[in-house]
Order: sequence, then C-alpha cells, then structure tokens
Amino acid sequence: MLAVINARLETLTNGVIEEGTLLVKDGKIAEIGADVKVPEGAAVIDAKGRTVTPGIVEAHSHAGINEKGLGWEGRDGNEGTSPITPWCHAKDAINMLAADFDEFREAGITSTGVLPGSANLLGGTAVAVKTKKTAIVEEAIFAEIGMKSALGQNPKGKYGRANKAPSTRMGNAAMLRETLLKAQQYNRKKEAGEEPKFDKSMEALIPVIKGELPILIHCHRADDIVTSIRICNEFNLKYTLEHVTEGYLIVDHLLKNDSLCAVGPTMFYGSKVENKERDFRTPVALSKAGVRFCFTTDHAVVAGRHLRTTAGIAVSWGMDRDEALKAITLYSARHMGQDHRLGSLEVGKDADFVVWSGDPLCFLTHADVTVVDGNVEYEREVL
Amino acid sequence: MLLIKNAKIYPVVGDMIERGQILIDNGKIVAIGQTVDAPAEVEVLDLEGKIVTPGLIDIHTHVGIWGDGEGADSMDGNEKPDAINPKVNALDSTNPHQRSFEGAREGGITTMQIVPGSGNPIGGLGFACKSYGNIIDEMVIKNPTGLKGALGENPKNLHGNVLKHAPATRMGTAGLIREYFEEAKAYMAKKEAAEKEGKDFDINMKYEPGVMVLRKEIPFRIHAHRHDDIVTAVRLCQELDIDCSVEHCTDGHKIADFLAKNNVLACVGPGLSNSGKVETADFTDANPAILHKAGVKVCLMTDHPFLNTRHFMTYGAVSARYGISFEDVLKMMTINPAEALGLEDRVGSLEVGKDADFLIYDGHPFSYKTKLEATYIEGKQVWERPVY
Repeated sequence: MLAVINARLETLTNGVIEEGTLLVKDGKIAEIGADVKVPEGAAVIDAKGRTVTPGIVEAHSHAGINEKGLGWEGRDGNEGTSPITPWCHAKDAINMLAADFDEFREAGITSTGVLPGSANLLGGTAVAVKTKKTAIVEEAIFAEIGMKSALGQNPKGKYGRANKAPSTRMGNAAMLRETLLKAQQYNRKKEAGEEPKFDKSMEALIPVIKGELPILIHCHRADDIVTSIRICNEFNLKYTLEHVTEGYLIVDHLLKNDSLCAVGPTMFYGSKVENKERDFRTPVALSKAGVRFCFTTDHAVVAGRHLRTTAGIAVSWGMDRDEALKAITLYSARHMGQDHRLGSLEVGKDADFVVWSGDPLCFLTHADVTVVDGNVEYEREVL
Repeated sequence: MLLIKNAKIYPVVGDMIERGQILIDNGKIVAIGQTVDAPAEVEVLDLEGKIVTPGLIDIHTHVGIWGDGEGADSMDGNEKPDAINPKVNALDSTNPHQRSFEGAREGGITTMQIVPGSGNPIGGLGFACKSYGNIIDEMVIKNPTGLKGALGENPKNLHGNVLKHAPATRMGTAGLIREYFEEAKAYMAKKEAAEKEGKDFDINMKYEPGVMVLRKEIPFRIHAHRHDDIVTAVRLCQELDIDCSVEHCTDGHKIADFLAKNNVLACVGPGLSNSGKVETADFTDANPAILHKAGVKVCLMTDHPFLNTRHFMTYGAVSARYGISFEDVLKMMTINPAEALGLEDRVGSLEVGKDADFLIYDGHPFSYKTKLEATYIEGKQVWERPVY
C-alpha cells in the first residue's frame, strides 16, 4: 500500500483537493480526499504541498518502435513493403528498453499509445502501454487501441514515387475502400460458416469491420480529414483522426461528426507540404468549439517530454489552462478508449500519477516522482 | 521619434529598470532610463508595466533556405556533390518571403545568422540579417559571418553513403578539412607574394573563404554533436590556428570542463530535440545549464527548422529549468550571440546608440501564460500577435 500525503491533488474531474491524501492499493487509487487516514504500514510519499496530477498520457507516439537516437537501426514503425499491412502488430516491434521510455518516465508520462507509422494505408495494430521499467512488452501493454491507417502524402509518396499504387490521393482512398470491402466480404463468409481461405490482412481487419476496434487515420490536410470521415461513415467504422493539422478550417464538420481528434505535433511547421499549416490555431479553435481532442507530439517527431510544453504554449495562444491539462491526460485517455481507467485521479482508476515541482504546464517545472500502477518508476535526483 | 514608457525593461547590459523609458529616433535608441528627456510632440507608447527585452538573436538558423513545408523544391541548404564547398553563400539561397521569417518575428528573433547545412565538411558562408524585409540584401547586417563546417554523421552519410565518394568516415571528414586549409594556406602565400610584387593574381573562389578564416576575419563554425566530434573540432582549429565556434555541442555536457579550459564558444541547439539521429542520442535539455555552470560561453540556437524559430523563448525557459537565471538565459539569446557575430555595437542589448530592436511581453517571458505581443526592429513594429 502506498500513500501520498500533503498533496495538492488536481483530480481533473472533481476539482482540486488542497492538502489531500491519495491511497493506492493493488495498483489502483483506493481513496482520495482531504480527510483520508493513512493505514499503518503504508509506504508514504510526502508531497510537501506539491501538485499531484494524473500521469500524462501520450495518445499517439512511436516510442520504442521508432527508437530515438538509433537512426535506421531503430526504425521499425513502417513495414514499407506494401501499402496494405494490417497484419502487422506494434507489439512485435516495441523495445521497452528504448531510451524513449526513460524520457517518458522523466517527463511524467505514464502511458502511451504506440502506433505503427504512416507510410501505409493500413499499417498494423496499435497498442497502449504503461511506461513501466520492463523488458517484456506484454507486461506493459494493457490494450489494443486501433488499426493504424494513413491518407495524404505519405502513402502516395512512398509507393507512387516508386511507380507503384497508390500514387494519388484518390488512389489512397480507393485502395483503402477496396481492402475494407474485401474485409467485409471475408467477415460475412466467416460468420456464415463458409471458411474462406486464411488471409492475414483480412483476419486483422475483422474487429475493425465489426466496429470493435477503431481505425486511427493519419490526416493532416483538411481534404484528407474530410476523406477520412467519408470513408469511415461509408463503412460505419469506429475511428479517430490523427494529426488534424488543418482542423481549424473544418471545425463544424468535426463537431457534426463528433470526431475524436489527436492534434499534433504542433510545435513545428511542416516538414512537408501536407502539414505546412501546423500551428496553434487548430487546438484553440477546436477547444473553443467543443470538438473532442487531445494533444500529441507524435514522439519522436516532437520529443514526447514536450507534450506538456505543447499544452503550455496552447494556453499562451488562448486555450483554457485546465482544458489544456486535460488535453494531455483525460482526453488522451479518452482518445485511446481508456478513460474508464486513466486520465484523472478517481477511486478505482489506475494509480498513475505524478508529483510535480510546480505547475505541470510551467516550462520550469520538473516531474519529481512518476508513479505507474502504484509503483514509483522515476524519482528525480535533487542535488 | 517614439517614446516607450511605463515598461519593465531588461536591457541585458545594465540593471533591470522598473517603469522605465526608451526614446527612439531613426531606428536607434537615443536614450534609456527611469525617465528620459523627450520632445513634447513625441509619439508615446505607454506599456502599462509590460515587459521589454531586446530582440533575440538566433546564432544559427536555416530560416529561408530549408523549405518549411514547401517540399523538396525549396530545400536549398546543402550544395552537392562537392564535399568541400566553401564558395557558396547562404545569402544566395535565402527566400525572405518564406514563412520562417514571420515565424522568427513571432518568436521574438530580430537578428539571425543564416548558415548552410551540415551535409558537407565545408559547406559555405553564412551571414547575419534582420528578420524583417522584402529584399534580403536590405536586411543583411553582416556578410559573411563565418565559414560553415561539419563533422560527425551528416557529411559521411551524404558523401560516403549516398554519393559514394569521400568522406565515408569521421577521420575522412577531418582529413579533407585539413587538406583544404593546407591548400588555402599555400594559396594565401602565393596571393600575398603576388600582391607584394604588384603582379596579377587569379582569384580562386574555393580558397578565398579559407583565407578569411586563416586571417581570423571570420571563424570556422563547425557542426559537432557527439563529444568526440566536438573534441576533433577543437583539435582542428588549434592545429590550424583559426577561430572556432562549436555548432550544436549536443554532448557538451559530457566534456564541459574541457570546453571551458579551451575557451570554446558553444552554440547550443536545436533545443527541445527529439534525438532524431545517433549523434544526438544523448541530447539533454540540461546542456546549456551544465555548460554555463562550467564557465563555457553559451549561445542558444534554433537551427530552424529543427527547432521552430517561434519557440525560441520556450527553449530558453526549458533550459532555465536546470538552474540558470532568466538574465543569464537572456544573455545566451542576445548579447552573447551579438558578440560572437561581431555585432555587439549594433544589437544584443538595449543601450544608447544601438538598433531599437525590442520585444513587448504581457508577462514574464518564461511563463506559459505570457504572450509576446509585439516585435520591433529598428523602431518599427514588424509583428503583432494575431488573436486565434
């Protein structure tokens, strides 16, 4: 049993508890409040008035799958041998000992979605992992969060430039539709007991076709976002929109479709034509309109430790401070379909939280203690 | 004439002035202090206690030469295929209409050194300019400001790996640099002899920049991330007796005492890095603080687009997290680069006689709630914060 005492608890869902206590039992938050008794024998972290928030959640990263600082050797995010590789699974490429996870723990990130890259129309299954210190990926994975997909310039560039399909945006859309259509047919045959010939791509797409697993679609430009929504509506898929760089141009459309968006990375202009409009206009506009979104760094496109830096900058551009904090915790958890267990300090949720040296959005603040599933996974050395 | 009043002024050189005033005429600061003598008919800007700092100086950027979302058509930073390419000048690649110039103004950068990329062991000349204008030649304030060099993985990758010629290794890169300067020395001797004897001499564009470096008119600005590359940079410059600045200095935190002992100028960045390459694997946000505490002279750089110019001050704030004062970080973004570029008579602090390049903040520049409201260059407002 672990107790955090004398903490300023920013619960995110039930306000701030000054001089509060948080009790952890079996990796879950057992009690939280100002008048909670610390049981005898519990390990105690004295926050000494410091702020405690839920752990930061990075909904869209390539941690451990495109390892930082390793160059080509560390890049395992894109099975770039065919545009249709839904049969790939992120769990087979994540190195939990990668430096990315050290960075995440030091930055107060307690869980992250790890997605295949965006070279392929269908890139493989994405998972959510805890940033535990472990070499065994199974010990870190706690959910499959979706099937990675991509529209826009990456697939058409990767294959089109090699004179293969797809080579245009309409080619992207048509190949994606064709594959989804085949998966529908494959699934129908299976459900009818017809036993179609095993197809690894079709098998992987069955939960997508059934609406059980969302499709996570890379789309930067407004037209690519609109195409993503069009295709998902045609096939009645559960989906999330990833990047949404030009979202500010189509706020009403996103609202009308109640789309879930992961916005980012926002701190750089485009590295390429499709994301040249990267800016803080989109998060500010989406937040004001009430579109459901979270921030992402797309780590290591922007370093994941600067997810909270991104949220801080968004405040300077006019986003509400508490909403900005939710957009890197609770809303990121919602984006991954995990807000029932992550993203706020509530009894019954996972004991993922951070003791901060100050306001977590402040650029001068350190994560002092990072706790994942009730275990201290990082503690800052104070010299 | 413009009178700024009721400003909390951080002049960088000199103490902070609460509710101070600055008088500007013809783009220059003519008076600064608690109160200044101003003519009655002067235009007044009452800042109501807002914060004023000098415009920031970015010692190393690729603003205007690196595409910024325009794709391959606008990538003009690395001239190929020659590994030794001193004859090019970044000025001839720079597009002042690229969005990065506006980003620089948004980030509070009023002066910057624009340099060629790091694909070549010797990559060409850099220059310094203001961040506002229509015609790049009218924005230049010094040209050239240095000869760009590069060690580490970029040159050996571009040449050895992609173009299949030398250099293919770190020792190859250093060897080609040595060879170039030895040739430049021989060229310089011939040129000087010809000048002495009043004889005609055929100028060779390849060696003219080398001569400028050998005569210490400009420094050799060497891209070096990994600790051993930084040490090689110092070794080369000591052997050749030339002025050196270490660009990036990512592993500087591992060899801070060595850098202090050798009086090395460290231009550190891009900040907030994602460690995209092997040579940047050990990047830490604490690097500027560690170097500063060891006594190394530090300038911060964006290396735009690798850190977007618009987030330069955020880089400063994150660096301060590891134990540097606001005033010291501000020096790394103003007067230190001004001195490193030989522009300290003109920019880098708010002092009488200097250019009226300044920024107006509605709060402390390190706070995430603070807005940079306006950027001024030579007394003229060149950027105003849009409302989203």
